[in-house]
Amino acid sequence: MNKQRNKDYRQRIDQALATPKLQDALHKFGDAYLMSRGNAFANYDFEAMRTEISAMKTGVRENHAVLLQQFIANAEAAGATVYLAKTAEDANNYIAELAKKKGAKLAVKSKSMASEETHLNVALEKAGTKALETDLGEYIIQLAGQRPSHMVMPAIHMFKEEVAELFSKETGKIEPAEIKHLVEVAREQLRQGYFDAEIGITGANIAVAETGGIALVTNEGNARLASTLPKTHIALVGIEKLVPTLDDATKVIRILPKNATGQPLTSYVTWIRGAVPCAGEEKELHIVLLDNGRSTLAESPHCQEALNCIRCGACANVCPVYQTVGGHVFGHIYIGAIGIILTAFFHGLENAAEIVRACIGCRSCVAICPSKIDLEEIILSLRETIGEEEGIGTGKDLVFRKVMRNRKLFHGLLRAASVMQKPVTKGERSIRHLPLFFSSLTEWRTLPAVADKPLRDVILQQPQQVEKPRYRVALFGGCANDFLYPELGLDLVTVMNALDVEVYYPQEQNCCGVPALYSGDKETAIELAKQNIDAMLEGKPDFVLTTCPTCTMALQRDFVEHLKDNPAWAAKAEQLAEITVDAAGFIVNQLDGADLFAKLASQEKVTYHDSCHLKRGAGVWQEPRQLIETAGHELVEMAHADRCCGFGGSYSLTSHPDISKQILKDKLNDIEASGASCVAMDCPGCMMQIRGGLEKQEMPVRAQHTIELLAEALKNS
Amino acid sequence: MGTEQQVEKFSLAARQIGAEVFQAESLSAAARYVAEKLTGNLLLPAFASGARAELKSALEKAGARVETDLSRETAAQAEGGITGVNFAMADTGTLVLESTDEAIRLATTLPEKQFALLDPEKILANSLEAVEPMRQLHLRDPRNYIAYVTGPSRTADIERVLTIGVHGPKELHILLVPKLSSDPLEM
Ligand code: SF4
Repeated sequence: MNKQRNKDYRQRIDQALATPKLQDALHKFGDAYLMSRGNAFANYDFEAMRTEISAMKTGVRENHAVLLQQFIANAEAAGATVYLAKTAEDANNYIAELAKKKGAKLAVKSKSMASEETHLNVALEKAGTKALETDLGEYIIQLAGQRPSHMVMPAIHMFKEEVAELFSKETGKIEPAEIKHLVEVAREQLRQGYFDAEIGITGANIAVAETGGIALVTNEGNARLASTLPKTHIALVGIEKLVPTLDDATKVIRILPKNATGQPLTSYVTWIRGAVPCAGEEKELHIVLLDNGRSTLAESPHCQEALNCIRCGACANVCPVYQTVGGHVFGHIYIGAIGIILTAFFHGLENAAEIVRACIGCRSCVAICPSKIDLEEIILSLRETIGEEEGIGTGKDLVFRKVMRNRKLFHGLLRAASVMQKPVTKGERSIRHLPLFFSSLTEWRTLPAVADKPLRDVILQQPQQVEKPRYRVALFGGCANDFLYPELGLDLVTVMNALDVEVYYPQEQNCCGVPALYSGDKETAIELAKQNIDAMLEGKPDFVLTTCPTCTMALQRDFVEHLKDNPAWAAKAEQLAEITVDAAGFIVNQLDGADLFAKLASQEKVTYHDSCHLKRGAGVWQEPRQLIETAGHELVEMAHADRCCGFGGSYSLTSHPDISKQILKDKLNDIEASGASCVAMDCPGCMMQIRGGLEKQEMPVRAQHTIELLAEALKNS
Repeated sequence: MGTEQQVEKFSLAARQIGAEVFQAESLSAAARYVAEKLTGNLLLPAFASGARAELKSALEKAGARVETDLSRETAAQAEGGITGVNFAMADTGTLVLESTDEAIRLATTLPEKQFALLDPEKILANSLEAVEPMRQLHLRDPRNYIAYVTGPSRTADIERVLTIGVHGPKELHILLVPKLSSDPLEM
């Protein structure tokens, strides 16, 4: 790991965390965004629309060469000059040369992320052409000498007072910090530029192969002016912007503004094909098609899907990490989840090395992406690549390779820990304070103690009386259920037995491998996958049950993915995936068993926290609610129920505890505001985080697994 | 095409995004509406339905100061611009303007007030229905500059506060005038 780079990164995090105003703004934006987005899609089927976009964009990737040729031929036939730029430098040189040839003193620009990507303004400046940003956000950023912190709203991190100060410097008078006034100042300041500029530079949201035209999706009207008044128009367009037909372009335009800002449509969509009339002559239109890493990305089997992106920016809007630290921390030029991936390919792996670990893996971006990109999966695979290049840190390396892969050693150490922790736990189940340099770990949440006896031991002593079992199921405990919360596993046995299901615990099962995978050590993850497949399938269970959705995803998705090219293992991995199911989903969907608990509970006000991997991984979120309500509790929804709690495994322990703490704070506020005395969830990781936070804050709310609530209800009756 | 419901849906959507929609009984009523909104010059580029309906004289009769000589200079000075519409989309309240003729662009980008005459017959349901006429326009002309216009120009770039009127028109007035033109390929 590069020490200086990491240090700078840490500093940026600290700075961002010390700016509560920024967090407040991004949170409010996130809420408002979801509201307007909901309205914008009210009469549309988002899932169907994004399935179409995804298929179309995948088709484009597969036929890229043909479509590109078609686009170029049509554009040229309409009088445009097309230049294919291999690299950022190549694109900049072409544009700077052109500017020189035109003797251009001034170029007006409308918003173009591609030009941010290539640092075009610097290149133009060197060629003697001043580049004037006319998009309001870009203009502000340009005056401030900064880079955008959001792809759609570049100046989202700035406040009106700062803008007023910047504008005052420009106009030489004191401009009041009133938004309407400031917008008017920008209009006046920039107006003459369109008339004076020899060149107008824009990006494009879409390039249509069928017509050879481009489409610009904008709100302010500056792109219309920049593409109308100057004699020369240069459009800098990433080659991934291609779509085959006008129908496809229309589909992109239908979904893009709705998903970007919650607008049904932007004020303007401008379709330009060829050299159109300009001041009695023909306009000179240059389309610079930018590759700059996109072809390499297209060839990466694990990452290529990222080229389906239509740059709506939504993956940042809903990201809890982005909302906590903003785009200047969580991004390079491109920001948020997609920014991690694009940075790695457009700006080099080293520029993505920190932010690739800043993703907490909550999958909220995956759920909102209009191109249905599995951003989390791509980020994980990048983490692995970076892990290989830069190492994952010696401590972790040792733990994963030497310890975790050896189950007996790993579990032996955990058992030893249960004894060694005695001085700090003082026999209690939660660790409230850790000594010395570990103290920061328990500063904002308690940590669960390692149980005296793990689930794998105690479960053997639990008598099971199921006369004619409907099913025999194997429980996959996962480390937390096994070593931290064995009582949860016992509760599961109680609940299952009541439903005539017999449970057994395969003793050879090991960690699911997610911690290793999230840290970029895929080799260990694969080794663990094999150990677990053998262990879980050995007793021929009807189903494999999990109480931890992260483990569920490992068994259902990751193992299959790791082993799909391994003939000895692929089928077994599939088999395990097919019979793996999370406990709440199993009760409702497979057993149709909710009614068994009807009205058994002593009524309590319960709010439900959706675990990221349960809702957005396994697609389970109604089932636990149904169970809780059927059992007789009063279910009250908290705000942002499906927002991450900030746990993320080692994310909260070692890699980004400060961000994790902040995200937890949001969650605790929402829980408190719900007025519930119990928060239910279906994930031991979330329990660790939320219970730990509640205990530390001494809030009178208990955090329980849904299965625990059901067992409680049974015992009640 | 052009059912009453469609008109209603269109008007609602257009108003929601800040456009004014005026149901004019006749062209002269529309002209009066326009003239009342202006003290400065009104740009009138040439377009088929306007010429046919003798829009210029209607506007002048209503008292508007009509400018038909469109250049960068006259456009920069004008207060308003008026054009026809090729067709519209009800679901988003969008106007489609074939603007390859530069005069159309000058009249719709530079002045603060944009006026658009729309025959209700030309309202399509949504952008998917608009693909076909879009394709026809591309087949008819070798080069195109086609604009979807949905409300006045806007920004939310400062503190995400929606503000109307940045670089483009600050007002968009849509005048529904019957019997102007039912051909989506002509403005
Ligand atoms: S990855 Fe998806 S959500 Fe993110 S910007 Fe691209 S299209 Fe939008």
